[in-house]
Amino acid sequence: MKILIVEDEPKTGDYLKQGLVEAGFNVDLVRDGMDGLHLGLSEAYDLLVLDVMLPGLDGWHVLQALRKVGKDMPVLFLTARDSVDDRVKGLELGADDYLVKPFAFAELLARVRTLLRRGTKNKELDALQVADLELDLMRRRVTRAGRRIDLTAKEFALLELLLRRQGEVLPRSLIASQVWDMNFDSDTNVIEVAVRRLRAKVDDPFEPKLIRTVRGMGYVLEAPACA
Amino acid sequence: MRLGPRRARSITVRLTLLFAVASTVVLLILGLIVAESVENHFEELDMTELAGKLELIRHVMARVRSPAELQGIPRQMEDAFFGHHGLVVAVQSAQGETLFASGHGPFPQALFDRRHTPGADRHPYVWQADGVAFRGIVAEARTGIAEGAPVVVALATDIAHHRSFMDAFMRTLWLTVVGGSLATGLLGWFAARRGLAPLREMRRQAAGVSAQRLDRRLPVEAVPVELAELAESLNDMLARLEASFRRLSDFSSDLAHELRTPVSNLMTQTQVALSRSRTTEAYREVLESNAEEFERLSRMISDMLFLAKSDNGLIVPGRETFDLADEVAALFDFYGALAEDKGVTLRLEGSAPVAADRLMLRRAVGNLLSNALRYTPAGGEIVARAHMLRDESGSTTARIEIENTGEPIPSAHMARLFDRFYRVDAARRNSGDGVGLGLAITRSILRAHGGDIEGRAGEGSNVFELWIPAADKSDQ
Repeated sequence: MKILIVEDEPKTGDYLKQGLVEAGFNVDLVRDGMDGLHLGLSEAYDLLVLDVMLPGLDGWHVLQALRKVGKDMPVLFLTARDSVDDRVKGLELGADDYLVKPFAFAELLARVRTLLRRGTKNKELDALQVADLELDLMRRRVTRAGRRIDLTAKEFALLELLLRRQGEVLPRSLIASQVWDMNFDSDTNVIEVAVRRLRAKVDDPFEPKLIRTVRGMGYVLEAPACA
Repeated sequence: MRLGPRRARSITVRLTLLFAVASTVVLLILGLIVAESVENHFEELDMTELAGKLELIRHVMARVRSPAELQGIPRQMEDAFFGHHGLVVAVQSAQGETLFASGHGPFPQALFDRRHTPGADRHPYVWQADGVAFRGIVAEARTGIAEGAPVVVALATDIAHHRSFMDAFMRTLWLTVVGGSLATGLLGWFAARRGLAPLREMRRQAAGVSAQRLDRRLPVEAVPVELAELAESLNDMLARLEASFRRLSDFSSDLAHELRTPVSNLMTQTQVALSRSRTTEAYREVLESNAEEFERLSRMISDMLFLAKSDNGLIVPGRETFDLADEVAALFDFYGALAEDKGVTLRLEGSAPVAADRLMLRRAVGNLLSNALRYTPAGGEIVARAHMLRDESGSTTARIEIENTGEPIPSAHMARLFDRFYRVDAARRNSGDGVGLGLAITRSILRAHGGDIEGRAGEGSNVFELWIPAADKSDQ
């Protein structure tokens, strides 16, 4: 998967590149709009991470020029200004998603993966599995090591999310938004409690532990062997 | 076409002009009335005299018995009019032959032509001859001659002295009017200046108000009644300004304080970590802790941005129809596990349909619930009651009352609870729960919807009631 980052702020650019490279992507980084447009036109990228405020040619124009020649790779906008107008403008010009600075890297990674997944047709699975944990989506049943586990509807939704995106660190805000449809930053430790309860049922009686807390970032579900 | 608003003329100038114009008009009208009546009086005098003389002449003519006697008329006439200066008389026969003429100048033919005009002996005819003005009448007089035609008598009096009197009078009148106008204008100017002195005093006082001295007020008792209301409104405005100004400056200093603590934590921690070589585990520990702190900072920044936008009226709520109770139910679902962990029961009653921004209201109620949850002791209960309320003015509001058990909050704190960074317990500042912006955001969301929130202490509980205009009313 090849990603182009257009970001003029040196530190932000470097860390974004490092983070995405370490997440397994093939990343090019340029510092201004002209270079971004040039690379975007000449190379084939699967995704573009585009800062709005750029020297020379701003993000809007880069996006516009790319869309005009039929480049339809997903574009994730980064903006420092959280104004409705900016958002609307970006989405109208054909951006696929936007993030307002400051943002959590885990959030960016999650959005990038979602955008990349959007392109590839995900065939509907009727079961998810990791290690000895199995999720039967049709019958909404969970078993681990062959033993049936009873989960509430929300616990099931949370586990399904973690399983569908196994190996990805999911930030709390993303979990709150996906499982409970809560799109505001809640400063209580609701997600921690929910994850702890899920763990008590899914992880505590078993080995190995599958759900891992990544401090300062979020939660990830993965089989230890893959880590 | 005017470019921009023109500055209004000064009140002093306006009053002065007004005084001058008013007195000019009054003096002028008065003068003209007096002049008119003097003129009428003169005319009346003249007419009385002329009528008397006409009577005399008629008497003389009546005694004439034959045409021969007509020749003796002049002598009799001269006797009759001896000593009457300024009076001129002419008697003509019906054929136009002058029988007698006295005094200066000939009578104009126009006067004689009036003799058949009815009322010519009562309405004077005025003319000018050789620089002298006359007022005259004409009438026929019967003679004593049998079958004889009546003679025509013209009488006039010199009105030069009347004229000169009137001229002098009019001159005096004009001088009086001009002088009077000037005098009242001047007096008006003085009066206006004196009358407006309290305004200048107010201006002086107001000039003393500045950002550093916003506590200054205008003296309401010391100004005249007419200005007291103005002074009061200005004082109210100053009070509002002072309050917002104070809030703003408190906010900036709070903000600096709120930022200083986490930033200094981050700095110290990072610098200590870097001061010597450590294990990977130790580095990880520091970075993780930093990440948490950064997350808090970033949340605070986005909350602050939200509040700044709402202060500038940039929060524009969308509109969809839903039931507030459903949102509370969803939030209860979200907070349910946490509440259960804390041993707090959640209960929901009633319903309240609205047309509002669902995401914003969810956030508003969510912040309120999270706050309630934080301060409800184990074993306590949070009850949310949704209902519609129709007030006296006939407008309906959708309301949610959230009551949580707990130590009642003193009313002094309650009033400020929705201010930014305000915490009842100052020591809780750095306990890690939130940054004290949640309730401020709740309030700004409700206000953006035209509603508000209010808190009050209950019996062993605290009640927060929020409301927004109901769906039907707010649709217009």
